Amino acid sequence: MIEIQNLTKTFNGKTVLNGISFEVKEGEIFGYLGPNGAGKTTTMRIILGLLKPTSGNVLGQGQNLGENEELRTKVGVLLENDGLYEQLSAHENLDYYAQLYGISEGVARKRRIGELLDFVGLSDRMAEKVGTYSKGMKQKLRLVRSKIHNPDILFFDEPSSGLDPEAQRMVRDLILRLSKEEKRTVFLNSHDLDEVQRVCTKIAILQDGEIKAYDTVEHLRRRFSKPIVEITFVDNEESKRAVDFISALEYISFCEAENAKVAVTLKGKDTSTLLSTLMGAGIKVEEIKKTSKSLEDVYLDIIHKGREQNE
Amino acid sequence: MNKIFIVAKKELKGIIKTRSQMLIGIFFALWFSVMTAPVVKTVEESAVFDQFNNLIFYFVLMLGIFMAYLFSGKVFFDEKREGNIETLLCTPLSLRQIWSGKVVGVTIPAYLIALLAAALITVIANVFSTQMLLPSPAIFLHIFLVVPAFIAVAVGLLGFGHFLLGMRENQILNITIFFVIFLALFFTKTVISGGYAVSWVAIGAMLVVAVLLLALISYLTRFLSKERIVTTIP
Repeated sequence: MIEIQNLTKTFNGKTVLNGISFEVKEGEIFGYLGPNGAGKTTTMRIILGLLKPTSGNVLGQGQNLGENEELRTKVGVLLENDGLYEQLSAHENLDYYAQLYGISEGVARKRRIGELLDFVGLSDRMAEKVGTYSKGMKQKLRLVRSKIHNPDILFFDEPSSGLDPEAQRMVRDLILRLSKEEKRTVFLNSHDLDEVQRVCTKIAILQDGEIKAYDTVEHLRRRFSKPIVEITFVDNEESKRAVDFISALEYISFCEAENAKVAVTLKGKDTSTLLSTLMGAGIKVEEIKKTSKSLEDVYLDIIHKGREQNE
Repeated sequence: MNKIFIVAKKELKGIIKTRSQMLIGIFFALWFSVMTAPVVKTVEESAVFDQFNNLIFYFVLMLGIFMAYLFSGKVFFDEKREGNIETLLCTPLSLRQIWSGKVVGVTIPAYLIALLAAALITVIANVFSTQMLLPSPAIFLHIFLVVPAFIAVAVGLLGFGHFLLGMRENQILNITIFFVIFLALFFTKTVISGGYAVSWVAIGAMLVVAVLLLALISYLTRFLSKERIVTTIP
């Protein structure tokens, strides 16, 4: 488990993180979101012991990760920078890190490297210099390097960046497998909200060094967005007539038309009430459905609100 | 295997696999040896032996330091510039182990090229001399102890600087060091023709200086921090 307690970091008098707190439970896939410059990388660096916090505590399995070499053997990282040596082959790169993480027995090391390269489909090119690899191949290699020593906690910074859709799916499956089957804890720093929505059990949204939201994806979606009712009318004329009618209803908080479709947010009434009101007014409805905001919408709402508050 | 040697082995492999760098090293060893060794032909018969020893004393040391400079750039500076150091800092290695491993990994190939230069100078000088020329015992001690120690000092100091400073300061430092070492090599003939002979005392004093410098640099690495390194990654 990772516990962040009231963490603050300042650089030359500028506060980059302002008293943030959250925890990542064992076996959880935690998504850490935020715009560029929000302080995500700084948080990750502090957790990994690369930066010292100005105040506050970071505990990994109850101990300070930065000051405990033994604990670092239980952590795997895939950071923003490559961490790969281009003049060495894929096998040599993995072999180097395997040795650094204490996999000293030669046969076991070779077998482990073989398994991992097989897993990402790089076995047939394992003797080639990494410098000749494509961006996607390097990303796959970085991914398996991060788990070469079977760590308990994995830190992934944009793991799908530069990958084709098939490989992105492989990454998602890997993350899910790490959590569900192997009970590993995953700390995922990502801009890919679709990926976060699909794999993360809990997320935190960081903006200007402060946590703006911290909950499960489902709770956040429920908390930050009211369900939207999407109505399709028979034609554009009917849609225009409906907008005038709907906007006048007191239980409507939002109404927006796009051709024959109208999006509506209800306040205190349900969809069936709206439908019967429309039918009662003789407005011809072709289709009506209830939708909710995606994580991306929720994220953008939170970030925009944060900006408005700062202004 | 000791973690320092794991890092050293990888650095050594990386340097050897970077053929352009190895070729540059070998080219400099060959070129400066060919340019300087014939100096024995220009001095009086009685001064040939001293001149030959002075040449090895100065040239092999300077070339070793030049190689240290060349390889350190790859091992310390590039690793920081490319950001790979950040991943390495997350492994269960202390900063001092990383630094020590890199120093060992660079010192070995730099020293091997310095040894190659010593052998080349001996062969070329014998071609131009009427008498058999071999390094004196003091120069042997110099080659086998002082030269590697000074190469390690140079690598350690350069590595310390690369880790401590930002990219711009490092680039300025690199250019300055390159010109200083290149000029020192270029003026080899002028420096060695001072009419002196290298003594045991001089070699012993240099060895003591090298050991003290190594201890000092090793002490200085206590002032390196992961935060300093990470915040100076471009």
